[in-house]
Amino acid sequence: MAGVQVGKRIIGADAPVTVGWENIGRVEGGPIKQFVFTWFQPVMLFAAIGFWYYAPNWLAVASTAIAIRLGWLILLLALEWVNPRYESWQLTWKEFATDAFYVGMGMTLVGMIDAYIGDGAIIRAVQGAFDWDKFSWFTGLPLLVQAVLISMIFDFGQYWMHRAMHNWYPLWLTHAPHHYITQLNINKGAVGNPVELFLIGLGIGGLFDFLPRAFLLAGAIGMTVGIYQHINVRFNTPRWWRFIFNTTEHHSVHHSRDYEATRSNYSGTWIIWDRMFGTCVDGEAELLGMEDGRRMDIAETMVFPFREGWRSTKAALARRFGGGAGAAHLEPARLEPAE
Amino acid sequence: MSGVAGSIGPGVPTMAGIKLPLIDNIWRVRGAVPIDPALSAEEAFARIDPLLRTTGTAVAQEAGTLTYSKHNPAAQDKLATFTRGRLWVERAGAGAVLRFDLFSHALLACFLAPLLFLGFAQAAIALNAWEASNAETSEKSAKKEDEKPKPVKQLNPVDVFLGAPAPEDPSKKKDEKKDEGRHSPEEAYFMAGLFAVIYLVGRWLEPWLLRRRLRAALALPTAS
Repeated sequence: MAGVQVGKRIIGADAPVTVGWENIGRVEGGPIKQFVFTWFQPVMLFAAIGFWYYAPNWLAVASTAIAIRLGWLILLLALEWVNPRYESWQLTWKEFATDAFYVGMGMTLVGMIDAYIGDGAIIRAVQGAFDWDKFSWFTGLPLLVQAVLISMIFDFGQYWMHRAMHNWYPLWLTHAPHHYITQLNINKGAVGNPVELFLIGLGIGGLFDFLPRAFLLAGAIGMTVGIYQHINVRFNTPRWWRFIFNTTEHHSVHHSRDYEATRSNYSGTWIIWDRMFGTCVDGEAELLGMEDGRRMDIAETMVFPFREGWRSTKAALARRFGGGAGAAHLEPARLEPAE
Repeated sequence: MSGVAGSIGPGVPTMAGIKLPLIDNIWRVRGAVPIDPALSAEEAFARIDPLLRTTGTAVAQEAGTLTYSKHNPAAQDKLATFTRGRLWVERAGAGAVLRFDLFSHALLACFLAPLLFLGFAQAAIALNAWEASNAETSEKSAKKEDEKPKPVKQLNPVDVFLGAPAPEDPSKKKDEKKDEGRHSPEEAYFMAGLFAVIYLVGRWLEPWLLRRRLRAALALPTAS
């Protein structure tokens, strides 16, 4: 495969990737379908912002956000059913059940651990140690500015954590299972080893003081923008949207089987971070995964970082101290940071 | 084939000698689809061969019985839910059916998943109790924090002009969740319930889809 040069890199030499916006798929169907799947994303973003901006205090609480999110997920699942981006990504019962398991792990086990060693606990410890005052002037900014700042600061942290995961082997081991997904669906963002889910959830947003409503607004931006990165729905995404925001198209390039393509589009919500730091590749891909699309089951996902870490350590120690022919069989499978 | 789906015959299903007359319906799916009586067993198997010709699937035919087992099937594998199975043709009078007896790791896992999440719910409750036992020290420090009255936050004039509701006075806030602890078992209860639903849907949907796919495959002539 020839691939396409993007900057200094050749994208699509190992597996098919459509580079650029000229040749990506469009919504097929009648005028109503065209209209709905062209305007759905921006309308929902502005509706969510409007709701959280004006909702009275008794309604603007976390439990409302959880209820809305649940209904929203059901709606997006329906959209996947009605207008899939690729038939080869169609959600099956087993895939849905598998994804639900990872979502559940994130909601329960990871959440419980996070309460003790997550970013909230770390920030409290740092602030306690140095007796820093919070950046309280932030609360005087207009709400939408605060919300965009929260969202962008969190995404900035995610961008670098994600990029580090693709470039530093120990972190890559935690992230690799997520790259064994062979199709994108709405809950696929939760698929991965719990260590990774914990690491990617770390943020520095808690250092700053924002109004509670600004957090809810930032959540609304995440819910109506970041969520699409793993969706299997064909949208005619507006040009301004895909310039600023991450899209399912960008993220499918990131999950492609092409090694160079996976080393792009690291951000969660704001693709503008990738544009700034030179890692953005516009386009889309259908063929996803690692090792020719081998699916990784739940059991292997849970042990993978530890198993491969142990094998690599053993091999490294054998090379350093053992040497000789005996060390050859300890060489781990070649698992380079692929994304 | 070995294990749960190993000893399958027209009689009572067994697992390693133990009779499991009902309980194995949790993870096993048995049934039949009608076939053209003119078809031999080999011809019927040849027609469903495309369904089985997938990555990680081992197929064997012996004495008119087809057995298969799958190792980690692909997401789009049409039989992904049923990781092992046995199929054979049975003739009764002028008619004939293709009988199947399949085993599903996925159904069994979904059936057991609520237990895992109920376990997490219990863990949350236990952690809350454990934290409450250390409450004295934390309460003292909390009181210290409470002594400082929190200032009421003001909205930016732009937001006042646009009519956003003003933030609440934090000192008026009631500490409603004080006794509940910081770990909520509710999410785990929700997941346990969700998996019960997923199981019930899957136990009905997957056999239905299986029959539909088998019928469709059997209706098509064998690709030569």
